[in-house]
Amino acid sequence: MMRRLFIFISLSIPFLLLIAGYLHPANAYQVDLDQILAPASWSHPLGCDELGRDVLARMAQAICLSLSISLAVIIFGGSLGISIGIVAAWYGGIGDTLLMRLADIILSFPGILLAIALAAMLGPGIDNLFIALLTVGWVGFARLSRAQVLSLKNSAYIQAAIACGSSLPSIAFRHLLPNIAAPLLVEASFGLAAVMIAEAGLSFLGVGVQPPTASLGSMIREGTRFLLIEPWLVIWPGLVLFMLVMAINLWGDHLRDKLDVRMHP
Amino acid sequence: MFLSIIAMRILQAVPTLLGVATLVFFLLHLVPGDPVDALLGETAMATDREALREALHLNDPILMQYGHFLQQLWQGDWGTSLINHRPVLELILERLPATIELALSSLTLALVLALPLGYVAAKYAGKTADISAMSFSLLGVSIPNFWLGPMLILFFSVTLGWLPVSGRGSFENLVLPTITMGTALAAVLSRMARASWMEAMNTDSIRTFRAFGVSEHQLWWKHGARLAAIPVITMFALQLGAVLGGAVITETVFDWPGLGLLTIEAIQRRDYPLVQGCVLLIASFYVLANLIADLLSMALDPRQRHHNS
Repeated sequence: MMRRLFIFISLSIPFLLLIAGYLHPANAYQVDLDQILAPASWSHPLGCDELGRDVLARMAQAICLSLSISLAVIIFGGSLGISIGIVAAWYGGIGDTLLMRLADIILSFPGILLAIALAAMLGPGIDNLFIALLTVGWVGFARLSRAQVLSLKNSAYIQAAIACGSSLPSIAFRHLLPNIAAPLLVEASFGLAAVMIAEAGLSFLGVGVQPPTASLGSMIREGTRFLLIEPWLVIWPGLVLFMLVMAINLWGDHLRDKLDVRMHP
Repeated sequence: MFLSIIAMRILQAVPTLLGVATLVFFLLHLVPGDPVDALLGETAMATDREALREALHLNDPILMQYGHFLQQLWQGDWGTSLINHRPVLELILERLPATIELALSSLTLALVLALPLGYVAAKYAGKTADISAMSFSLLGVSIPNFWLGPMLILFFSVTLGWLPVSGRGSFENLVLPTITMGTALAAVLSRMARASWMEAMNTDSIRTFRAFGVSEHQLWWKHGARLAAIPVITMFALQLGAVLGGAVITETVFDWPGLGLLTIEAIQRRDYPLVQGCVLLIASFYVLANLIADLLSMALDPRQRHHNS
């Protein structure tokens, strides 16, 4: 109960800002040199940034962009990883070994280091940011679904389905996926929180979303230069990111308890 | 028997390291178009371009380049920086002490915070103490480093004026980066400590000790702690490697002159050999930390030795 209340509270502020930002008539790219670092006012409820652009409008755009990139990484990375995991576990052999070695190597890079290196080498931009996050993002899903499928593969009902002549796609969708969905959903929700922080981190380091486009990470990056003059430029995007990530983590905890998934550290 | 398991595990790290080096090698070839264009700009003189091409061995077939890269790594030649023409390894080793200093202090803070929190949470599971400890842990996991850092600067350096904003040198400089990095580590570690302590206290052996009348204090601190320590120590060893990756962001926030900041500087200046070197070193550290974590858990937990053999 407490947890749901917290999820509600921590989601409400980002979503209120998102709605307010879209209702607010200001343009996220409109430079207004009279309003440089202007404090909050009726026409600019969250003030203006170093180019006089409306912070509320930029926040709305940033929340939308950060959420869409992260969701896209989880959806594409999840589908890719789950497919790879199922196929690798099902057929085994050299393909399985090679794919899992590749997963091991990707996991040998701590945290977001590999994503930073990839994004840096590919060059900045949203598409390359997406590729970098995807390269790292599929691995968790692949390993998890592979382990789950390996333990299900020899169960009687799967063997029965094979004996009846079912093909792998039909077995995967009818029998495997419904049975491994619970841990995958938990992985996806914690993964979404991690990807949001990673996306913002890359944009904060300057290898992700590029100006003038606003993302939560790039807003923090631009704002830190004016931390001493106008700290709200950093406080707002960070607070929203923090609340979104916390809500998603709480949601993950909730799912894990509800679906009774035992997480391996 | 046990020795051969250890040897096997150490040998397994070799292909992983080789894989890491391979991936790092191919990173340079991800640079879109001609790396030389990216480095010098399209207006560069033909002789300069050719010299750089030669220096990076870009004229050789790719497999030869790869072989050359591995051979040079093996001989300790990690290439030369494109910006100041000094050996990459030398530049990295110069910055390493600062990062190790920050890593050690953050890990110490993490341990000091996480063990009492994990203990209290496990002992009073479901009660207010547990909920508070786990709320702290949730905050620590959810708060991004690159926001916590500026907020700490704002409060402790700007508003209170107690601590310096950035740089390295005195103890005061170390405080804020340590808190920034230590919080997230403590959050993960305290969750781990809580879970494994609770699990340990539920085992048959503890129940038997309790039936024999061993005091609660001894149950928790002598027998329970010994069981609970294994996953916690393993996790700690893993974090030892992970902090170097996390240092990239924290060092950027605080202008801390370590390996992470060097990586970002190299990225900004398109000094690709230096980027390769930094990434390779941090990843190798992480592989090594993984290895140590595995060996430690084998050494501490006799059950695992039997399980593996």
